[in-house]
Amino acid sequence: MLNNVHGILMTNQPGYNLKDLSSIRSISSVPYGGRYRLVDFILSNMVDDGITDIGVVLQQGYQSLLDHLGSGKDWDLARRQGGLRLLPPFSMPSSNSQRIYQGKMEALIGLKDYLSEIKQEYLIVADADIVLNISLEDVFEKHIASGADVSVVCSRKFTDSPDYATYFTLKEDGSADEVLTRPEGDCYESLSIYVLSKSKMIELVDYSAARGLNSFSRQVLPLKDKLELKVVPYLFEGYAARFPTVADYFEKSMDLLKKDVRDDLFNPAHPIRSKDRSDPATYYGSESKVVSSMISDGCVIEGTVENSIIFRNVKIAKGAVVKNCILMKDVEVDAGASLNCVICDKSVSIGANRTLSGCETYPIVYAKGTRI
Amino acid sequence: MKKECVAMLLAGGQGSRLYALTRSVAKPAVPFGSKYRIIDFPLSNCVNSGIDTVGVLTQYRPMELNAYLGNGQPWDLDKSDGGVHVLPPYLGAGEQGSWYKGTANAIYQNIDFIDMYDPEYVLILSGDHIYKMDYDKMLDYHKRQHAAATISVLEVTLEEASRFGIMNVDENDVIYEFEEKPKEPKSNLASMGIYIFTWSKLRQALIEDENDPTSKNDFGGNIIPNLIAKGETCVAYRFRGYWKDVGTIASLWDANMDLLDINSGIQVFDKSWPIFARTNICPPHVCGPDAVISHSLVAGGCDIDGTVDHSVIFENVTVEHGAVVRYSVLMPGTVIKAGARVEYAILAENAVVEKNAVVGEDKGPIAVVAGGVVVDAGSQVPAGAMYTEESKGGEA
Repeated sequence: MLNNVHGILMTNQPGYNLKDLSSIRSISSVPYGGRYRLVDFILSNMVDDGITDIGVVLQQGYQSLLDHLGSGKDWDLARRQGGLRLLPPFSMPSSNSQRIYQGKMEALIGLKDYLSEIKQEYLIVADADIVLNISLEDVFEKHIASGADVSVVCSRKFTDSPDYATYFTLKEDGSADEVLTRPEGDCYESLSIYVLSKSKMIELVDYSAARGLNSFSRQVLPLKDKLELKVVPYLFEGYAARFPTVADYFEKSMDLLKKDVRDDLFNPAHPIRSKDRSDPATYYGSESKVVSSMISDGCVIEGTVENSIIFRNVKIAKGAVVKNCILMKDVEVDAGASLNCVICDKSVSIGANRTLSGCETYPIVYAKGTRI
Repeated sequence: MKKECVAMLLAGGQGSRLYALTRSVAKPAVPFGSKYRIIDFPLSNCVNSGIDTVGVLTQYRPMELNAYLGNGQPWDLDKSDGGVHVLPPYLGAGEQGSWYKGTANAIYQNIDFIDMYDPEYVLILSGDHIYKMDYDKMLDYHKRQHAAATISVLEVTLEEASRFGIMNVDENDVIYEFEEKPKEPKSNLASMGIYIFTWSKLRQALIEDENDPTSKNDFGGNIIPNLIAKGETCVAYRFRGYWKDVGTIASLWDANMDLLDINSGIQVFDKSWPIFARTNICPPHVCGPDAVISHSLVAGGCDIDGTVDHSVIFENVTVEHGAVVRYSVLMPGTVIKAGARVEYAILAENAVVEKNAVVGEDKGPIAVVAGGVVVDAGSQVPAGAMYTEESKGGEA
C-alpha cells in the first residue's frame, strides 16, 4: 500500500491535437473505451494501489473533467482526510498574464504552496492521458530498491509519434544515460509517470523557477548529470497507449477489440474505475446484428454494428449499419443510415438514410452535438 | 430531525419458493433484470418519491444484502440525516430479544427507530415486487382521505383474486373487510403489500397487537383487520401500472422476460423514473465475431461469442462460441462453454455450463442452476429441475 505516496496528475498535453474531441475538453477527459475518460486509468491505478491523496492539476477546458471527477466518490476519494484535490490554474503566478502553463515544472512552480503542504514523503507525478494498467506499488518498490532520485516508467513498445515523448538510453547499471527527444537506437520511451521524493521535487521546482525551465522531461531531466540526479527507467511490459492525433486515437481504440489488450487493461483484481451512472443494460432488438464490437450499457441496438466501440446510451435504429466506428454517449443513428470509419462525439445524431464515411488512416470526427 | 414520512422495507423474507436462488441470499438481494436486485425497485421508488429515510428490516441471510446496501450511496441514501438503515432483530438490555415473529412484529421491534424521526406517516414496503410507483401520490391520497391506513391495490381478475389478499371496499374505496386468499372473492382489489399508516395510529395498533398472544403479528392478517374493527378509516389506493410479484421461479422468469419489451411494462429505459443499483466496476461487454444476439438485454463485462435470444444477461457473463442461450436469465459471472445449450432457464451467480451440456428445454418449465454449480460437460439438466450441488451429487 502506497500510503506514503502522494499522487499528482497533469491533465493537459500541449501539442496533442484530437481536433473536435479535445477542443472542448482537456485531453485527460477525452472519452475512451466505451465508458471511460482517459484520466480513469492512471487515477484508478493510483487508488487501486492505495494512494488516497491525489492532486489533479487542471488547465483549460476542465469543465468536463470536473463533471467527471465530481467529489471523487467513484474512486473512493471523497474523504475527510486527503482524497481528491482539484488544482485549477488560478493558483499560477502567471495567471494574470493569461498564460497557460506549458510544462509540468511551470505548473508546479505555481503550486509551490500546495507541494510544500503535502504530508507524504514521496510523489508519483503522471500525465493523466495515458491508457495502461500498471502496478504503481511495484514501480515504487523498485524506485526505493534502486536508490534512484527519479524513476520514470518506460516502455519499449513505442506508443507515440516521436514528437511528443522523451526517450532514454541506458547505462550498464540500468540508470538513464542520455535523454533524447527522438528515439535513437536501442532506447526506452518515457510514459511520463515519475516517482521522486517530495523534497527532491521541491528542490527541482526551485531550480526551475530560478532558470525559467518549464518542462520536466525536456529541460530538467537532460541536466541530470549536472544536478547529480540518478534517473532510473522502470520498464513496463504491459499495454500502453497515448493519442496525440485522431488517427492514433482511432487505431488504439480499436486495440480494445483484441482480447489480450482487454485482459491487460481490465484486470478485475486491479480495476479501472469510472464515473458511475445508472444505466440499464443494453437492449438488442430482434433484428440486430452485432459482431466484433465493444458495447456499453444503456444502448438500444436494432441495426448492424461491426468492429466498433459504442459508448453508453447510443441508439442505433433498424436498418442502420455502423462499421469501424467510435460512437460516444447519446449518439443516435436513425434508420437506414450507414457509417464507416467515423468518430461521433457525444450526442451526435445521424438522420435516416445518411451515409458517412471516413478512412482507417483518416477517420472523420463529428463534433459534440452535430446533427446530420 | 423530524421527517414527514419514513419508509420501512420488509426484507427479511427467506423466499423459500425461489429455493436454489435464495440459499445464500435474502430474496430482496436476488439479481433481477440484467443490472438490478429486487430491492432496487422499492428503494429507487422511495428516492424518486422524495422519501430519504428508509429502514430495511433484515433477518434471513443478511450478509449479501447488507453489503449491497452499504451506506446507501447508489440510491443517494448516504445522508447525514436519514438515509438507509439496516435493522436486524436485536436483544435489548435485560429483556428477551427475539427474531421478527411477523411483518408487524418487525415494525414493532423498531418503534424506537421510527420515533427517532417523529414522522407523521410510515410507509411499509416489501422487497419482493417489481414496479415503479410514486409513493408521494399515494401519501397525498392518504392525507386527502384522512385515513389511518391506505393500502395500495391492483385490480386483478376474479380468477387471480383467490391468490391474493383481497380488499372489499364500499363505493368510496373505504375498506370494510380484508380477506386473505378468499375462495370466493367479493372484489378484485388485490393488496400489493404497500401500506401507508398514520404513525400515531399504527404505533398504538402495533402495541396492542404485540399484547395479543394469539396474534400472528401480520399486517394483512392482524393489523389491518384490527384497525377496521376499531372503526378507523382504511382506504384502498388503486394503482395502475406494471407490478409483478417475483416470489416464485416462474414469476421471476416472467418478470425478467417482461423487461425485454422495453417500451412497455417496467420500462427501465425511461429516465423520468430511474432505477438505481449498486454497479460493479466492469468494462463494456464485447460481442465476438460470431455473436448472434437478438431481443435480449446484456450488461457490462460480458463476453458473448455464441447465440443469445430472448434472454436477460447480467454482468461478466461468458457465452462461448457455438453456445446457444434462449429464453433464459443468466446471473452475474455465469459461464456457458462452447456447444452448450441453455433454454428456459435461470442460472444463478457464477454457475458454469460446461461444453455441450444442456440445461432446460424449449417452452420449459424453467430449469434452475444454483449459484456456483458446475453442469458437467455433456450432461443434462432437465426442464423444471432445481440443480444444486446436492441434487447433482444425488444423481451421480
